[in-house]
Amino acid sequence: MKFWDLIRIANRNLFRNKLRTFLTVAAIFVGSFTLTMTNGLGDGVRAYIESQVKNVESDRVILVRRKIELPPSERDSLAAQEYNDGDDPGVNFDPNSIIVTLRQMEAAVKGLDGVKSVTPRYNMMGEYITLDGAKKYKVMLGMISEGITTKTEAGTSINGPGQLVLPFELAKTLDPKIENLVGKTATVAFKTKDDELKIMPLKVVGIATKGLMTNVATFVDSTTAQQIHALQIAESDTDKFTGFTVQMESADAAKIAAVKQALAEKGFEGDTFADTQERIYDAIGIFKMGMGLVAAIALLAASFGIINTLVIAVLERTKEIGLQKALGMGRGKIFAIFSLESVLIGFWGALLGTLGGIAVGVIANRILIAAYAESFEGFTLFVFTLPSILTVMIIVSAIAFFAGVLPAIRASRLNPIESLRYE
Amino acid sequence: MLEVKALSKTFTSDGVHYTALRDVDLRIEKGECIAIVGKSGSGKSTLMHLLACLDMPTAGQVFVEGSETSKLPEHAKNKLRNEKFGFVFQQFFLNGRETVFENVVLPMRIRGANRTVISSDAAEALNSVGMDDKSHKKAKDLSGGEKQRVCIARALIGRPQVIFADEPTGNLDSQTGATVENILLELNKNKGITLVVVTHDDDLAQRCDRVIEMKDGRIISDRRRGENGI
Repeated sequence: MKFWDLIRIANRNLFRNKLRTFLTVAAIFVGSFTLTMTNGLGDGVRAYIESQVKNVESDRVILVRRKIELPPSERDSLAAQEYNDGDDPGVNFDPNSIIVTLRQMEAAVKGLDGVKSVTPRYNMMGEYITLDGAKKYKVMLGMISEGITTKTEAGTSINGPGQLVLPFELAKTLDPKIENLVGKTATVAFKTKDDELKIMPLKVVGIATKGLMTNVATFVDSTTAQQIHALQIAESDTDKFTGFTVQMESADAAKIAAVKQALAEKGFEGDTFADTQERIYDAIGIFKMGMGLVAAIALLAASFGIINTLVIAVLERTKEIGLQKALGMGRGKIFAIFSLESVLIGFWGALLGTLGGIAVGVIANRILIAAYAESFEGFTLFVFTLPSILTVMIIVSAIAFFAGVLPAIRASRLNPIESLRYE
Repeated sequence: MLEVKALSKTFTSDGVHYTALRDVDLRIEKGECIAIVGKSGSGKSTLMHLLACLDMPTAGQVFVEGSETSKLPEHAKNKLRNEKFGFVFQQFFLNGRETVFENVVLPMRIRGANRTVISSDAAEALNSVGMDDKSHKKAKDLSGGEKQRVCIARALIGRPQVIFADEPTGNLDSQTGATVENILLELNKNKGITLVVVTHDDDLAQRCDRVIEMKDGRIISDRRRGENGI
């Protein structure tokens, strides 16, 4: 018997009992639909976050902060603690414990292989920014350490002292043709520790790309940041920071790992951008797995529907199977017909489920864009990729196949004479 | 053509043994028309099933064209049944939702034949039972006699050497039964197809060249036409 004949027979058998087939397919549809939607949502969130985190990137910078070791008694501080008169009140966390001094920073990286430079994390408070001196805008200042690049809509990332990258929305307000801003000089104003307004001219080298990570702060280089920081912070505190960045000479993974290890031994925690991204992707992965589990349960329930449908079909068609066997059809072919029936149920359910999921996803995306386009620039809630759709279809068809194995084996093992006599 | 030697068959269900055939010897020549008769439970159906390689004997041997079949693997027996045997059953076993054509070509589909071969063979088989004008009718819409003619066409399409007919007229009135008998006997006469008929029907048995009578799993008489008063 030809394979095509087997498929044709399987298909006709399914059409014999349309309602039953439809109901079984519907159960598979629900599972596939759920799986498609959760996959689409996971991929959408991942793509968005990926595009966001990649707006600020470096393959050779380690962000370092002090490792905070809580005293043993504080570790399980979630448990209610009884208060006795004379006890230390409240939380015993010392904010100074996160402070790193310049000397500590230099000692931490001293002698480490492959380190190119170290930059403290300077905090700044901006007052306003202006292009022509007439129209002023509020400004939030951020620092870009050496070795870190930001994606830009126009111009380049910061690569030297006295430079500035404008956030997209601010740039558009200053000049709708943002390209014109590149190369111009902007004036940034800030207050010193003596409450004196100071201004500083900086060269606009780029306009940050759209997105949440880059659209809040106006970025300046570390030299500029150091100057502003020195003017704003009391003399006694200018060498105190909340962390620092280490720039490596190259993206050599082994050297980066060695530096992180050495820092850890000295009581610091270092993360590369890749580490941060990995943590975020892990979180998305767990979210996707959790959602996938819901779909898996739906599919499991549906596969019992397939088993039930086929077991009944085997009983109904016992005589027919007996005849086919008497006329020389082998066990393998009988097995194949029933397996194909279950795979076809799975296939149709998966096809309709994914198509339904995509349709609902596309509509949801449209509604979302219409409602929240401003705040989620570039965010597509459901992203459907061909590999993920094919994966869903293959997984569902495979589940259906396995559900069909038991009834198909039952059918293939029927004795022809007994089957022909079956009432 | 077909031969059985010292054939026995015992069925066991729920620990109870039932011997359907006891030490049967029989030889059927090519082109013979043979009726196996006997009361129900005499073992005639069991004998036919064993001859047709549909079942395994408990003891003894079955030979088809001189080679022993009871030792053949299942796929070889499937091929043998598909290519050398045709079957006609009392209860027709037609698929009512399918067309006459689809029912008739089933053995050819199982064989994996070409589409062109299938349709020309189907036309020929339907023609020889006088059903060529009903090939696109649904099998469920046929009368009993027509159904059995379709079954004969299905038995015929693979150009078998033996047709096994299990009570072929059992579900038919005498008139349509006679038509079906005529078709089967003509196939035997004109095409030389060996015919093995299991039947209660004395009229049908008397029209065969040889009548085997069975009782309690044994052959109690084996008469040829012209001998012993047939």
